[in-house]
Amino acid sequence: MAKVILGDSEKWFIIHGIQDDLRNDGRSCDDYRHIEVETGVISNTHGSSRLRLGNTEVMVGVKVELGTPDPHSPNDGLIHFHVDCSPNADPSFQGRGGEELSSNISCILTRIFNNKTAIDLSTLGIIPHKQCWVVHVDVLILECGGNLFDAVSVAVKASLHNTGIPNIQVTDGDEGTQEISLPDDPNDVKFINTNNCPLLVTISKAGSRHIVDATADEESCCNASLVVGVTRRGRTMGMRKMGEGSLDPESIPEMIETGKNIGRQLHIALDKLLKVEQGMANDIEKVGYL
Amino acid sequence: MAGMELVSDQGYRIDGRKPSELRRIRCNMGVFTQADGSAYIEQGNTKVLAAIYGPHEASNNMRNRVCLDRGFVNCEFSQATFSSAERKKRSRGDRKGRDISAHIKQTFEAAIRTSLYPRSQIDIYLQVLHSDGSLYCACVNAATLALIDAGIAMKDYVCACSASLTKGSSLIDINHVEELAGCAEFSASILPKLDQIIYSELNGRIHQDELGLLVDAVSTGCRDIFAVIDQFVRSRLAETASYFTHS
Amino acid sequence: SITISLPSSRKCCSNSNLTNSYLVTPGDVITEDTDYMRGHGTYSIEGGEGDKLHSSVAGVVERINKLICVRALKTRFTGEVGDIVVGRVKEVQQKRWKVETNSRLDSILQLSSVNLPGGELRRRSATDELNMREYLNEGDLISAEVQQVNSDGILSLHTRSLRYGKLSQGCCVVVSPSLIKRRKNHIHNLPCGASIILANNGFVWIHPSRSECDKDADGGFLISNEAINYDEREIICRLRNCVKCLAHRNVILFDTSVLYAYEASLPYKVSVVM
Repeated sequence: MAKVILGDSEKWFIIHGIQDDLRNDGRSCDDYRHIEVETGVISNTHGSSRLRLGNTEVMVGVKVELGTPDPHSPNDGLIHFHVDCSPNADPSFQGRGGEELSSNISCILTRIFNNKTAIDLSTLGIIPHKQCWVVHVDVLILECGGNLFDAVSVAVKASLHNTGIPNIQVTDGDEGTQEISLPDDPNDVKFINTNNCPLLVTISKAGSRHIVDATADEESCCNASLVVGVTRRGRTMGMRKMGEGSLDPESIPEMIETGKNIGRQLHIALDKLLKVEQGMANDIEKVGYL
Repeated sequence: MAGMELVSDQGYRIDGRKPSELRRIRCNMGVFTQADGSAYIEQGNTKVLAAIYGPHEASNNMRNRVCLDRGFVNCEFSQATFSSAERKKRSRGDRKGRDISAHIKQTFEAAIRTSLYPRSQIDIYLQVLHSDGSLYCACVNAATLALIDAGIAMKDYVCACSASLTKGSSLIDINHVEELAGCAEFSASILPKLDQIIYSELNGRIHQDELGLLVDAVSTGCRDIFAVIDQFVRSRLAETASYFTHS
Repeated sequence: SITISLPSSRKCCSNSNLTNSYLVTPGDVITEDTDYMRGHGTYSIEGGEGDKLHSSVAGVVERINKLICVRALKTRFTGEVGDIVVGRVKEVQQKRWKVETNSRLDSILQLSSVNLPGGELRRRSATDELNMREYLNEGDLISAEVQQVNSDGILSLHTRSLRYGKLSQGCCVVVSPSLIKRRKNHIHNLPCGASIILANNGFVWIHPSRSECDKDADGGFLISNEAINYDEREIICRLRNCVKCLAHRNVILFDTSVLYAYEASLPYKVSVVM
């Protein structure tokens, strides 16, 4: 990540603030910055979303293609994640500078979605062993203001919620083969069910307390953090420790508990917003960057 | 020339425009907080984000490009994987990207008053969100807005427009379908107030007599684009200047 | 608490339009009168139809006697002698530090331009050179004054006064340099209980007020890393949010404007101010 260099005194100020539950911008340890989400912003994708969390800006585009299923699970479709760090976010991402960060994020996303319950991949299968839907989720990071993992996961869930897969007709063709026909109407789609999609919550440790939604400054003070995948019901679906510092084993259950609580709240807030947006559907004009 | 009808018998193009009509332009400045200047432009369905960093001290890996008497421009163009109709995974340094980056760098080194920034570096980063033809032109227009947002001294606006020639009439601001048709394509960047062309590129074969037609078409297109973005910049200036004047 | 909203529900405040300022965009001809001198943001093309004065940025035209400048809303810092800056140490070199000050080139702080412990008139020894990192390390924030502007535009800073030196605990907000009003004094002890440095280069440093006697004998390098009490911290956070809001709305920053904003924000909780 683009490392923010802070002086020691500034770091102490931030760390002491966290112990007092009063962070630099007045938030408490469990508060998130305000999030803005919008879906359906790019018209030539099957699903898309744009998210702003404080200074962090993320855009996700989802495209579905026809492909061959994995031989180990012939009835299921596939989902691939790809992350791109735009140099707009930081000059150090120019050329291949952002590759480490992007592979980190896509790794974690792949891991938490890589189980039966996250997305029902069997709904993406078409003809067993021959054809299935391959969902490509492309994440574009446009500005880094801290807490990238959470922002990316919320944007991914919103874009998947917005993704419509064309309703396909499978007919029997000549000589026992099966033919696929795509519908003519582009609105004849089936939306992906995201009820069990996990969200990532990053809990960073500073001193004896931990915070969620760290800004870039706070991230440079906390040298150890946990990224936890949480479902809507508050169950964990994966966990990873980040950072060069070490964690006291006794503090880990507490941090996971916080992650689960926050994850539940995030799901509730996001689901409510997506419902509102769906309800408004054609009444609002997409803002995008205007 | 491909067999597709780019202009119907009634004189309308595939997307319903007349041959000399530009697509709808919408833009915004100051989109990001961390960059020194940023802008967003939509020309029809082509959507580009531009971010400017600088002028600042040259970064370590660009030390060899530092000039003692003027600043240098560093440009990188990247296209999102979801930007084109068919998903295409592009590595950062692919040829098309490098070509456009080089052309934009050349364009702006002629327009920015680099003699004011010796030994400094100015970064121009362009990100295409949605690509529907005239990428170079949209990028140039977005970069102009972002440079104005960053307060970097320029000789004039830089406005770019593309045109294509089919059956004796020129089509302005071509979209992706028209690009694929295979006609000659001409793009140019001009300084509208000083009335100078600082960059031009022609792909395809045309007759010598037809060149004048294309240049005229592009110049008119650029001036129209200039009118739109200048009006936007002035209205944004009027909004912010009201707080800004010192008492 | 977590709040998620749609961007279309963002409230847009309409700003009043000031039409009596002279607004220009790049390339505009400001005047054809050759009597005027060119200031920042202008240029002229020699020859051709005579020397017309053009604008090179988008901003407000300012005329001081015969000097015409165009001031843009956002720029990098161009320093002048006597300006107060707050900068971040970027690199420790031989006998000097490279300081990032939001200008087009990094500024320089010479080892001979700082106050070392043990009095001001001590000659710099080889040990001092080797121990530079003990005084200022990468990432430290300092407050300094511009001593001179070199021919290539690089600013030379100095901290040879008790008012300047390494900055201790506090909070930094970066705004555009053009939002800082030029005044006689940029270091203020606000009556609400905190101190603020509105540096010319756009770095606003908010810190708890300390008594003046703390800073002398050690040359300003002894830093206290003890925790600040809750009330003082709250004032600092509130000031920080106020400064950010004012900067977002392009309001000129000076001690009175910051104070007004602070007082207006008192009825609300600190986190809501954003």
